[in-house]
Amino acid sequence: MSLLRLDQIGRTYDMGHVQVEALHGVSMTVERGEMVAILGPSGSGKTTMMSIIGCLDRPTSGRYELDGTDVGSLNDAALARIRSRTIGFVFQSYNLLPGTSAMDNVATPLLYQGVSRRERQARAAAALEQLGLGHRLRHEPSELSGGEQQRVALARALVTKPALVLADEPTGNLALHQGQEVLALFQDLHAAGHTILLITHNPEVAAIAQRQVHLLDGAVVDAGIAA
Amino acid sequence: MSAVELVRLALSRLRRGRVRAALTMLGVIIGVASVVGLVSVGRGTTARITQQLSSLGTNLLTINPARGSANTLTLDDAAAIAGLSGLAAVAPEIQTQRTVATSTTNTTTTSVVGTSADYATVRAFEVWQGTFLTPFAVDQGLRQVVLGATVATALGLGADAIGGQVNISGLPFQVIGILQPKGGAGSNDPDNQVLVPLGVVRKYYVGGTGVQSIGISVANATGMQAARDSISELLRVRHGLAAGATDDFSIFDQTQLLQAASSISGTLTLLLGGIASIALIVGGIGIMNIMLVSVRERTREIGIRKALGARGRDILSQFLIEALTLSLIGGLIGVLAGIVVSAIIGRIAGWGFIFDPATIAVATVFSLAVGIVFGVWPARQAARLDPVNALRYE
Ligand SMILES: Nc1ncnc2c1ncn2[C@@H]1O[C@H](COP(=O)(O)OP(=O)(O)O)[C@@H](O)[C@H]1O
Ligand SMILES: [Mg+2]
Repeated sequence: MSLLRLDQIGRTYDMGHVQVEALHGVSMTVERGEMVAILGPSGSGKTTMMSIIGCLDRPTSGRYELDGTDVGSLNDAALARIRSRTIGFVFQSYNLLPGTSAMDNVATPLLYQGVSRRERQARAAAALEQLGLGHRLRHEPSELSGGEQQRVALARALVTKPALVLADEPTGNLALHQGQEVLALFQDLHAAGHTILLITHNPEVAAIAQRQVHLLDGAVVDAGIAA
Repeated sequence: MSAVELVRLALSRLRRGRVRAALTMLGVIIGVASVVGLVSVGRGTTARITQQLSSLGTNLLTINPARGSANTLTLDDAAAIAGLSGLAAVAPEIQTQRTVATSTTNTTTTSVVGTSADYATVRAFEVWQGTFLTPFAVDQGLRQVVLGATVATALGLGADAIGGQVNISGLPFQVIGILQPKGGAGSNDPDNQVLVPLGVVRKYYVGGTGVQSIGISVANATGMQAARDSISELLRVRHGLAAGATDDFSIFDQTQLLQAASSISGTLTLLLGGIASIALIVGGIGIMNIMLVSVRERTREIGIRKALGARGRDILSQFLIEALTLSLIGGLIGVLAGIVVSAIIGRIAGWGFIFDPATIAVATVFSLAVGIVFGVWPARQAARLDPVNALRYE
């Protein structure tokens, strides 16, 4: 069974006077352990697609199955549970909680899983150490470089050992060498068996994935070749 | 998420915005402090009235000449009233302001009351040292005096003054007793007087046959109205009043008056507490305002938390607990401030410190309620935010 299956997914934003069709007829599958790049120019619907796959948003049409479950039939609390247990997000602008230490940022997803404080801190520290940030546990986001912030965000995405990591332009805000470091981390993760969806407008970034799904004007123009 | 986690989250948040948190709490602090302060002032007043009630004589009726008709009451009236049934004690009183002096140079000006041996019963005075005026001393018009506690203190006289001598307007009197203080202040001090046999005042200080008032202790509380009626009837006959004429005396039931005052003071306490709780509600609106601003400012944080797995419920509790923490801390500080203020007022006004756990419990519960009522709406707004839009929010 595929980890995720999108079947004729559409997403229309109702802006009152106009309807923006951000996605239409999007179908694709991703297998466990795959690293897939979703490649497309700005405005092509990549972020919209990630929101739907990440259960932050619901499609207006089509069917989405995650790990065999029809996500469309779930209520908000069940979607929150999927985000909590199954998905790890990495955003372009890091989206760390301001004024909160790296450790507490990484521990937050565990808080919503009901993990005890002691265990949260131990696991958060371990995740940060694994990404080479053992010396930055007490630092707040404003005291970290962009590359460090993105690594904290990556540690936060990984601390729950999610089945699927969703990264939306993870190198978009980073200087070249920092971006390459982060990409190397994604390759390590893939090598370690994680399933990763890497969303980018940059073909060079997308090149690290074995498969590229090309998106244009809200539709898949090339689903790539399954590895 | 457990309550402990939520409180920890709220506290760390409030620590980061201390000034804002303090200003937000100020409304609740002022509200709660006014409730606690005003209610305890009200209770102090009520307690004071109750204390005065108990220091009045039991079942006391006071007869005075009606306003504008001086000297209509006489000693014979008092004697006639004493003949009525259902009365425990009758004490006529004549009063005059005089200077009292000791053999040393201590002097004080006080009211000298000429009365009978029944006075102690009628006005509920206890003797601290020595004895009260005896019927014999009153009959014989002996120059004996019983000192009120305030006068004794003013003259520097203690237990060893019994049997000694004081001069009243230059005339020597033998001190036979000193009264227990009843407490009171200013012009209303029942301890600021001295008591002498009525005949002595009549002979040396105030001429004529009139008395200023007659104090009566009715035998039974249930007999108060009957006693009033029979006294009134007796005096009307004695004074030769025609059927339609108004009384030239008035009968006064102080207990009734004070009971009315006590119930008015209780009502006032409620009213003041009610007005003060408006301040608390205004404080609650302040919390709501800040929480709404906070939800707006933290829209992105809410989006992030939802992406990390927070349910609507978790966000709701987080914001609600923040509002509750604000209102509860504000409430506790307010209670402390209220206690301090009422202790100070109580000290100045002389009823002492009234600590009332019930008021404090009510104020605390009320401030919690304010936190819930005014925190729920902002918290729901936060919980309902759509995660995609929240994450796009700049
Ligand atoms: N919340 C939204 N409301 C209205 N329109 C939106 C919203 N999100 C995205 N869009 C529109 O949908 C289209 C696709 O946007 P997006 O998914 O962000 O593309 P990308 O991430 O590839 O740049 C754009 O035209 C964008 O303006
Ligand atoms: Mg995008």
